[in-house]
Amino acid sequence: MDTSASCGHLCWSYDDRQVFAAHAERLLAAGLAAGEQVWYVTPAPPEAVTDRLVRRPDFAAALARGAAAVVSLGDTYASGVVVDPPAQVAAYAAATDAALAAGFTGLRVVAEATELVRTPAQLEAFTRYEHQIDRWMRTRPFGAVCAYDRTVLGDATVLALACMHPASNRPDLLFHLYGAAEPDGHAALAGELDLSNHDLFRTALERADLHPTDGRLVFHATALRFLDHRALAVLDAYARRRNAVAVLRTARPAAARLTELLGLTRVQVELIR
Amino acid sequence: MRTGAAAGHTGYYHEAVRYDTDEELLAVAVPFLNGGVEAGEPTFVALGEGTGKLVRAALPADTTVEFLPGGDLYARPAAAIRFYRQLLADQVAAGARQIRIIGEVPEVALGALWDWWARYESAINRAYDDFPLWSMCAYDTRICPPEVLADVARTHPRFATPDGRHVPSPTWTRPESFLREDRPFTPDPVQATRPAIELYDPTAAEARAAVQRVDPGRLPVDHLEDLVVAVSETVTNALRHGEPPVRLRVWAAADRIVVTVSDAGSGPADPFAGMLPVGDGAPGGLGMWITYQSCNHVSRHRGPDGFTLRLTAGSLYTAR
Repeated sequence: MDTSASCGHLCWSYDDRQVFAAHAERLLAAGLAAGEQVWYVTPAPPEAVTDRLVRRPDFAAALARGAAAVVSLGDTYASGVVVDPPAQVAAYAAATDAALAAGFTGLRVVAEATELVRTPAQLEAFTRYEHQIDRWMRTRPFGAVCAYDRTVLGDATVLALACMHPASNRPDLLFHLYGAAEPDGHAALAGELDLSNHDLFRTALERADLHPTDGRLVFHATALRFLDHRALAVLDAYARRRNAVAVLRTARPAAARLTELLGLTRVQVELIR
Repeated sequence: MRTGAAAGHTGYYHEAVRYDTDEELLAVAVPFLNGGVEAGEPTFVALGEGTGKLVRAALPADTTVEFLPGGDLYARPAAAIRFYRQLLADQVAAGARQIRIIGEVPEVALGALWDWWARYESAINRAYDDFPLWSMCAYDTRICPPEVLADVARTHPRFATPDGRHVPSPTWTRPESFLREDRPFTPDPVQATRPAIELYDPTAAEARAAVQRVDPGRLPVDHLEDLVVAVSETVTNALRHGEPPVRLRVWAAADRIVVTVSDAGSGPADPFAGMLPVGDGAPGGLGMWITYQSCNHVSRHRGPDGFTLRLTAGSLYTAR
């Protein structure tokens, strides 16, 4: 799993806070080694986390020189209870610029964000934000690990968040919808789409809120191993509502055949071998 | 106005032609086709290469009868239905009062694949009934096994005879009844061997992975993908609408992959499931139709232990 700042956006679901903390420290240490500035965003009192980190020599030095920071959740996500996606993206953009100006190669954030998605309204806003920040970070030296406590949030909420990331540690998550790295793409799809995640896919597309260009919504789907007729119908309906054609770039000939079979006029499959 | 034997009939006028000699076939086909041309009705031939040549030679050189590629058209029943429904809709939209077609299923369909062609012959009584179609399905009694001829008699309301008559079939059985019967299903010899994979209650994703795992490269990628689509839909239907346990078995022969999906339920309630894209709300109808479009052969069997769908991709076992 690639977690380098240039392209990493990882969703980390955890049951055990200690196990997660150890993993977070490893990820941050890797960022330091890559010359990045690293932030540990936590709902816990920052002092408590700092006290633990300074016991590690690499962090002690990094904290001292400003390469590492422990940030309280409330300070980072300043908009309060329900995240304001554009404002939050702007905040990280400014922080990334500041890190670059200070001589770092980028900014890497590990954020324990459970407290930000506890209500349906929070979850709705935050999943939208996850896609926006993901799209933004495709082209910027910013990486993020978004950690969620499964024992608090439950599987459904964690999966709804995880599918908006290009990677997660949930083996039961079949698909990912995330920002496209290609300049002409609106989003990327990976994994498998079938009845088991039909509703989640439809919801994820709404939350991604993609805006067509010249009547086209281009999906880079070479990492999509399977999609069924339901997923194609979802794409067709989504494109129709947005007055667009969904262009699906995929290596799967079955997608083209199914599209033709179903007579879907808002999906155009472009085969990439 | 419709002309000929179907004059005054509404919807599909479905006939079989049982012929013992080439002359008998021509005695029925030639007047049928020429009559269509004379009446200005769109008139089509969808016969195999040999029979098609025979009929072509017996028609006027300047005939406007259109010859369709019979072999490709009759590769899969559900695909043939889709093709014909589109053709018929186009002709009606263009003003046709009646369309005439004479066709035949390829000889390969008369053996181990007959079960789904028998279903086709029955299902089209409904599938083409939206159109003013008069069609004749030709069967050469010199090569048809008796059980095929028995099904032909049950799936066609009437026969066209070489002496120019149109007689009711005494054993005609409505599709709603015929399609609910359990059709004999010829075991593929590979099924006598130990399956490469056997899974109980797999998720659709696990079932797809199982098929992918069976000797990659055995089939052309398009065929393997289509089989994966079919298995995914079939397992999804079994899990959703069937009764547990759902059992997936996958066999790999040198040139084909055979998959069975069983559950303890009684199978789809709609007798046309698979042949037609069963309408909105019918459980699993679209998935089953896609399955029938995606495999080189689909057989179904309802037994004391439940319902089984068998899917074959690659070269078919066609023993007769």
